[in-house]
Amino acid sequence: MPSILAWSRIRSPWILYMCTGACNACDIEVLAALAPKYDVERFGILLKGSPRHADVLIVTGAVSRQVAPRLKRIYEQMPDPKFVIAAGTCATSGGVYWGCYNVLGGIDKVIPVTMYVPGCPVRPEAVIDAVAKLIAKLKSG
Amino acid sequence: MDNVFTLIRIFIFPGLLFLSILAFLFEWIDRKAYARFQNRIGPLYAGPSGILQPIADFIKLMGKEDITPRYVDTLIFNNAPIFAVAIPFFASLYLPLDGSPILSSFEGDVVLLLTLMTLYTIIVFIAGWASTNRFSTVGAARAILQFLAYEIPMFISVASVAVYVGSTSLTYISMNQPVPMILLQPIGFIVFIISMQAELERIPFDIPEAESEIVAGWLTEYCGPKLAFLRFAEDLRLVFCSGLATAIFLAGGSGPILPPVVWFVLKMIFIVLLSSYIRSLFARFRIDQMVSGCWRYLIPLSILQLILTRFVEVGLRWL
Repeated sequence: MPSILAWSRIRSPWILYMCTGACNACDIEVLAALAPKYDVERFGILLKGSPRHADVLIVTGAVSRQVAPRLKRIYEQMPDPKFVIAAGTCATSGGVYWGCYNVLGGIDKVIPVTMYVPGCPVRPEAVIDAVAKLIAKLKSG
Repeated sequence: MDNVFTLIRIFIFPGLLFLSILAFLFEWIDRKAYARFQNRIGPLYAGPSGILQPIADFIKLMGKEDITPRYVDTLIFNNAPIFAVAIPFFASLYLPLDGSPILSSFEGDVVLLLTLMTLYTIIVFIAGWASTNRFSTVGAARAILQFLAYEIPMFISVASVAVYVGSTSLTYISMNQPVPMILLQPIGFIVFIISMQAELERIPFDIPEAESEIVAGWLTEYCGPKLAFLRFAEDLRLVFCSGLATAIFLAGGSGPILPPVVWFVLKMIFIVLLSSYIRSLFARFRIDQMVSGCWRYLIPLSILQLILTRFVEVGLRWL
């Protein structure tokens, strides 16, 4: 029975996407990954508006002090099991904004991160690769 | 023995199990067709050509954490999904899937079915209202407002078929059409399909769950098993509405060579494809455009169809 559940989790990861203060380059690339050219619905990936519906949270941008509690609240609204992908250099470490007075750093300062995707900005292929590797990780247990 | 046969009819074929399989199949057909219309591929890896995708979604949601937010009205919030699944199931049992109705048939069951569809909208409203989330509340209010617009033309377009055939029993209507009603009442069919899009909250009229405006509308606070049930209810409603359109406008299961149930399902798939074509063709209307459009164009058109019905009837008798 658990294997059927694991199969279903692998086959339908639903995505919620959040910008925590990115310069919008990563946002556009992540949205390009969801657009018809790359068509992630092949893997069963759907973009969801509500954190209650989502399995995977994709975050772009360095975390500013203002957005940190909101990021945490969005993460807490998601039902278990949940995964976080940090898309872009800013989201993984703070990037060029590292050390700024209003920037906390990468999103792992606020919430646990499953997968880091470097790149400034990330390529859509890289985002799809991250989701595929997340799926592979789920498969191996 | 007779009882066992009836139970098999209700629970297995062509009853609840068959309807559930149809629901999952139709969601897959809809998503795949929608993707192809948009030059995408659509679900691919879950089973052959992604045919198991809706089942994977359902099982995954059933296995997720079940959150009940602190400020919701717990009783209604937790029970609305159950009613949402039960109503289309009950309504579908009146469809003449294999030539005879699954449960029973009586004079006036079309009225009962339309009432059950209305009842579903009320369930949507109280589910959104009980969530006490502002997005859910806006979505629920929009669902009710939209319902004031599309329900009347839908009823009138069904009534004009009932007037022509001279019966309000769904089985009788589907079995006693000289030619499929789509040929005699094309305006009524168009009005019915447009109202059906609104009834199913599909794209030109997905105003109550507009994700770019109000997160997920009345569904916003639902997660895990409850969301699985609500999504399943939407699929069942797709089955029910396409079945109603088939029985009323496409002469139900009548057709040459193949058995009635195959014809019925094929015609339902035609309606589903038509619906996903409309879904891929249009953008979302605003709520005021939708309501005024329905009252200005759809209702006069459906009344015109009702009047024309009488002329066609008299004309055919004259010939």
